[in-house]
Amino acid sequence: MKITQVAGFLGCGKTTLMLKLSRDLAAGGQRKVALVVNEIGEIPVDGKVIEESGMQVKDIGGGCICCEVASTFAKTIYKLYKEFQPEHVLVEPTGVAVPHQVKLAARMGGRDAKISLGPAIVLFDATRPAELLDMDMLGQLVTTQVKDADIISISKVDAVEGQAVADSAAKVRELNPKAEIVHLSSFSGLGIDGLVERILAWKE
Amino acid sequence: MADESLDNKGCYTEHGVSGYGVAAKLSRGEPMNEPFIKAMAEEMMLAIAKKCLELGAKCIGHIKSHLKTEAGTIKADTIGVGHGSYSSGRLTHPVRDLFLAINSIVQGIPEDAVKAATLEGMHEVAGERGLSVVKEKEHTYFDEFDFTSSKQDFIKKLHEQLQEEESPDA
Repeated sequence: MKITQVAGFLGCGKTTLMLKLSRDLAAGGQRKVALVVNEIGEIPVDGKVIEESGMQVKDIGGGCICCEVASTFAKTIYKLYKEFQPEHVLVEPTGVAVPHQVKLAARMGGRDAKISLGPAIVLFDATRPAELLDMDMLGQLVTTQVKDADIISISKVDAVEGQAVADSAAKVRELNPKAEIVHLSSFSGLGIDGLVERILAWKE
Repeated sequence: MADESLDNKGCYTEHGVSGYGVAAKLSRGEPMNEPFIKAMAEEMMLAIAKKCLELGAKCIGHIKSHLKTEAGTIKADTIGVGHGSYSSGRLTHPVRDLFLAINSIVQGIPEDAVKAATLEGMHEVAGERGLSVVKEKEHTYFDEFDFTSSKQDFIKKLHEQLQEEESPDA
């Protein structure tokens, strides 16, 4: 059971990507995929939206899985392993979660389950790069999210000019020289196939 | 493993992020078609975001909504007034009732302020367009939401779950 997280700041397009990614990863039923969706607001709007697509979704509300409800997340991972046995679990943390802490929590759930960690895919919104990195208090959080990424997806590239995409890529490259950077448009489908391939091929 | 005691505040609180969610049933005497509902939902998202900023918010994480009707589902959201608001989804026919869930995540103001902005925005825009908020329930969603049930069954379940709020069980 490979656990892949789709992280990134609020409003960067995580849920839309989760919908597309889960469908492509499932490949018409060839692979068993489950989703774990975490929202701060206690109203699982995202989870309900994804459920409509027919996917197996576990909602975790009431706090953030990287800290407050980390043990609930770990238990959810174990329960999925025991009861559903998916080949892949896609995890959407809250927009303010720290990816390396989500990985730690997932590993706790894997103590009694055979799991491996897929890449931490972190989305970076091309429509508001300066707003994200320069935000009072939150800029540091976005920086940490980018630094924690195994793969950085510059999202919403269809909504901005090419130069703006390049500028976003340059900004995140400065923060994380090791991560692979991919361009993503959940609207047009750009980059989804590539992410599926990377998840399938990913080795810890 | 993180301690899940009540004293343990989430990482987001360190960054001044607050969230508020509410579910409600809205009704209108005249049937509402898809463009009407989409326009209203988009306006509502922007109104809430604007009110949050007026109350001192520094950043809109997201204001997002999910509107379920017997004719289909509409989603609408915004990440800030300057970014506009977007909606998607389809309705097969005009409806008089809709079940709305809103989730507002904002930085720079406390939860009480996010709550005030969310409720004011919802009531204000609904009122301007002739809708009445029949029932509302905070910090919840339609937990037993079953998208595979028949239209009649699912509307009945939504009613039942909102009805639970009215029971003086506390």
